[in-house]
Amino acid sequence: MSKKQVTLECVCALLILLFLYASISKFLDFKTFIDQMNNQPLPNSWTPFLVWAIPLLEIAISIALLFEYTRLFGLYASLITMVIFTIYTGIILLHFFPYIPCSCGGVITHLTWSQHLLLNLIYTALSVLGIILQHRKHFKPILITTKHSLV
Amino acid sequence: MNKIKWTILTSAILFSICSAFATRPHALQSGLYWYNGTEYLAAGQMGVNYVCETSSNTCTYSYSDGVYTPYQTAATYTYLGVTTPSKPEPTTNKK
Repeated sequence: MSKKQVTLECVCALLILLFLYASISKFLDFKTFIDQMNNQPLPNSWTPFLVWAIPLLEIAISIALLFEYTRLFGLYASLITMVIFTIYTGIILLHFFPYIPCSCGGVITHLTWSQHLLLNLIYTALSVLGIILQHRKHFKPILITTKHSLV
Repeated sequence: MNKIKWTILTSAILFSICSAFATRPHALQSGLYWYNGTEYLAAGQMGVNYVCETSSNTCTYSYSDGVYTPYQTAATYTYLGVTTPSKPEPTTNKK
């Protein structure tokens, strides 16, 4: 197993760790999660949808990252999700809303929004790194074939 | 190759499940207090009753054997009254 492949596996493992941890934490204290969602500066009518959609999306991304066929899809989904979370965190830090809600999700609750932004940026960068490594992995056999055909 | 891959991924799955159970909110947030300048009051539930906003202060304290120990630092206690009808009931000053 090459160094790049090990790096890719570690990137996927870190993403799975975050998404799976966040989703399980939400389900373990679902009632609090509903209250926390109601405290977010979003319409409360979205809460019944969001309280299921967010953790289920996180679990779906984790599963997609496990398997080779769905990994690239999982990495793109992870990047889009992290970008959305990062933009939301940025909007909150820029005081676009009348108050600052909690940065909820297990032990992540204990992070301030600035720390949360840093975590999101790191995970956004990890998703980009994963996409690059996964693309290189897929294009490698094509390059070898081209080289062989030229020889 | 597959063995290394699945070792890394299985470790991540197990670690995330164990961490989620180990850091369940009721285990972390029970019995936290905040200091209002004169006395310690029950903090309530993080995200529901209050949030900790970045600052140089201490947001919440834990209480054990008559001593209040800083629990979440570098933040200020900010009450949220959106979903909860009333502020958490103040407890008697244990200081």
